[in-house]
This record gives sequence, C-alpha cells and structure tokens, in this order.
Amino acid sequence: MISLHNVSKSFSGVPVIQSISLSIAQGDIHGIIGASGAGKSTLLRLINLLETPDSGTVEVSGHKLTALTNKQLRQTRKSIGMIFQHFNLVANKTVYENVLVALELAKYPKGERRKRALECLRFVGLEHFQTKYPAQLSGGQKQRVAIARALANHPNVLLCDEPTSSLDPHTTAEILTVLTDINQRLGVTIVLVSHEMKVIKSICNRVTVMTEGTVHDTFSITPKGIQETESSAGHLVEQLMDDGDRDA
Amino acid sequence: MTVIAMPEVLIQYQAEIWQAIGETFIMVGVSILAAILIGLPVGTVLFICRRGQAFENQTVFSVVNLFVNVIRSFPFLLLVVFLIPFTRLLIGTAIGTAAATVPLSIIAIAHYSRLVEQALLDVPKGVMEAAISMGASMKEVIIKFLYVEARSGLVLGLTTSIISFISYSTIMGVVGGGGIGDFAIRYGYQQFKTDLMVYMIVIMIILVQLIQFTGTSVSRWIDKR
Repeated sequence: MISLHNVSKSFSGVPVIQSISLSIAQGDIHGIIGASGAGKSTLLRLINLLETPDSGTVEVSGHKLTALTNKQLRQTRKSIGMIFQHFNLVANKTVYENVLVALELAKYPKGERRKRALECLRFVGLEHFQTKYPAQLSGGQKQRVAIARALANHPNVLLCDEPTSSLDPHTTAEILTVLTDINQRLGVTIVLVSHEMKVIKSICNRVTVMTEGTVHDTFSITPKGIQETESSAGHLVEQLMDDGDRDA
Repeated sequence: MTVIAMPEVLIQYQAEIWQAIGETFIMVGVSILAAILIGLPVGTVLFICRRGQAFENQTVFSVVNLFVNVIRSFPFLLLVVFLIPFTRLLIGTAIGTAAATVPLSIIAIAHYSRLVEQALLDVPKGVMEAAISMGASMKEVIIKFLYVEARSGLVLGLTTSIISFISYSTIMGVVGGGGIGDFAIRYGYQQFKTDLMVYMIVIMIILVQLIQFTGTSVSRWIDKR
C-alpha cells in the first residue's frame, strides 16, 4: 500500500530522516512513535510529499509519488487524506464549506457535492453543525470536521499527524473511535503519528518506533481497544486523591 | 428658506468645489483599482515566494521586493516628477487629472502590496499545508484558502491604503491633477481664503472618517475567526 525506500531528508544541512525504508500494508492502522525530534512527523509528511525527500522513493497505492509531475502528484494527493494536530480548518469557512472545498478541489461532480459533504459530516456526527464556523466548535468537533474533510474524496489512506495531541482524554477517545470506524467500515489504511503511548497502544495493529531519524524497530501489536475515560469532576478528584504512585 | 445657512464662500465656489471633489474621486478611484488589480497579485507574489513558503522562489521575491522598496523610497513628489516621461508615454501628456493617475497608481501598487503581504503572513501555515495535502494547485491555495482566511486583513489594509491615496492625491496639483487638496491650496492658502481652506479640510476629514468606518465595519463583519 505504502512503501518508502531509502528515504532521506535534511533541513538546512541537519539530517532529519536517514535512509528509512518502510512498508505499510493495506488495511493497517500503523502507528509511528518516538521522542520529540525523532522525525516521526517528517516521515509522515514524506508519504504525501508535503516534504520532498532528498533521496529515495515513495510509493502509495501503486503510484510512485517521487516520479510524478506536479499535476499528477496533486491528483494523487486527493486520494490521500490528512489530518493535523491543530486541525488546520479554514476559520472563515463554515463547517459545510470546509468539507465542500475538498470536493471542489477534486472536481467532484457538482450536483453530488452537497450530498457527499453532508454524508461525511453525518459520518463524524456533525451534520447539525454545518452552518457553524470552526471558532464556535470544541477541539474534538474541529478535529471531526477535519476528518470529514479528509474523507470527502474517498481516500484509501489517511495520514494523521498527532491528531489527539491537543485534545483532552475524553475527546481523544472520541476521535480514536472515529478513526477505528474509518479503518473498519471504510477499509481506509491509517498511518498515525503520536507521542502518546496510550493512543498508539489502543488502536494500532502495527508500530514503528523511531529514534534520531531512523527506524528503531517495526513490529505487530494487538490493539488494546479504546478506554472510555471518565472525565466527571468526581472521578478527577478521586484520581488526584489516589495514593498510587502513578496513574495508569 | 434654508434650514442651515450655507456659508457664502461655499456657494460662491460651488462649481469649482464639486469639480475638485470629482477629480479627487477619479484619482483615488483609479489608485484603488490599481491597488486591487495589480497590488494584490504583487503582494501575493511577495508572500508565496518568500523564504520558507511552499512556493519559495528567491529570484522572483528579490526582484519584486526590490521594485516595491525602490518605489516606496521616493519622496512622492519626486516620484511624480521622475515618472513624467513614463506618464507621457502612457497617456500622451503629463499634465491633468488622467496623467496624475499614473504616479498615483504606481505608488498605490507598491503601498497596498506590502499590506497584502502582511495580511497573508497572518494566515496560519497549517491552513496552506492542509490545502496542499488536499491536492490544491498554487492558484487554488491562493484563492480558496489564503484570500478567504486573510480577507479581513486585506480589507483593513485596503482601507489604510485608500486613506493614504487621498493624502497622496492632494499634491497632484503640481502636474495639474486638481482635486480637493489642490483646491484648498490654490484658493484657501494662496488667495488667503482661510475659511475656504478649513472647509476643504473638513470635507477631507469627513471622507476619511467614512472610509475608515466602512473598512472597519466590513472587515469585522467578514471575520469569522
């Protein structure tokens, strides 16, 4: 599905990714974890060529991205969804318009755009928020709009760059549930970058551990499932008063 | 019967005053058009070609940046004089209201393009990244994302620019451009009709207030961030 071959990238002379080869199978939820600065976000951004590799090749669903013309690359990107830590929605567009723009870019048949945009919003449970602006939404809702936008063009891959890192535990669980849903119901391959061990453990079936721009190891794990975290005030007090050394 | 008595001097010079107002509107109007039609694209080029941006291009940036800086370095009066041959080439004469629009448009482009560049710099980088990740072309990134996200800043910048254009237009009397400022100097100052000069200043103040009020209201109304 996705394969990187001897990919390297450096920023102003500093190597960030050092000759990484990695392949990700169709239908996987593939986690990438590592310390800050290990290069995990850069690696993810190399998959849709948001960063152009200095050397090596990138292949996604049979397209050799590194060999495409600009126009072909733009075309291929339409089938690779991406979501970000800070959502990156257009604040001056409504929820509906944010999803619609993805369809406009892909020249989705005009008559079906509205239906498709609403369908995607329904999938993430935000159908009734279509006329709201991002500023009126919570963090979790913004991320769900971003997910709807990324899904609009029926992607076969969804790249997630720290999608839950600015969300609270409860909302994190909510977003992870949506991601699992996308993987299982729509068969979308997911690549998930996160520094949160809990997130990776809960939904990934394969993991790459990175260190200093290289792959330390890649192996399979059994997803632990998403823990429904209790976020009531009473529970928080209970946790704070708990004598245990560290929380789970 | 008049409710408020019109000052004598305004009635006496009515025709000239209306003509002066008309000339100011032409000069400022053409400057606004130049700012939008050329200044906006120039400012956009400055932004997208800048170092670290997605469509980085050092050569284009340096050339455009230098052009804008050079234009803005001129004391405006000298720019008007310096451009006389160019104006003559373009309009056929260097004298009159039409001729005056040439240097005004040039400064308008340089002035607004800087404000456009600044407004676009306020757009979060992630928004452009999201656009590119969705397969947007450079044109689509600019029109469907950058301008949408920066629209209130673009309007505020244009408001500031328009007020500067009014100020620039007041000295176009040197090439026979006319306008309110020129009228105020010729009649009010040079013919010692101080009251007439004060009335012209009042007209300018009202004009500037109106423009600023409109600009601020519109930019607030379209800002959903």
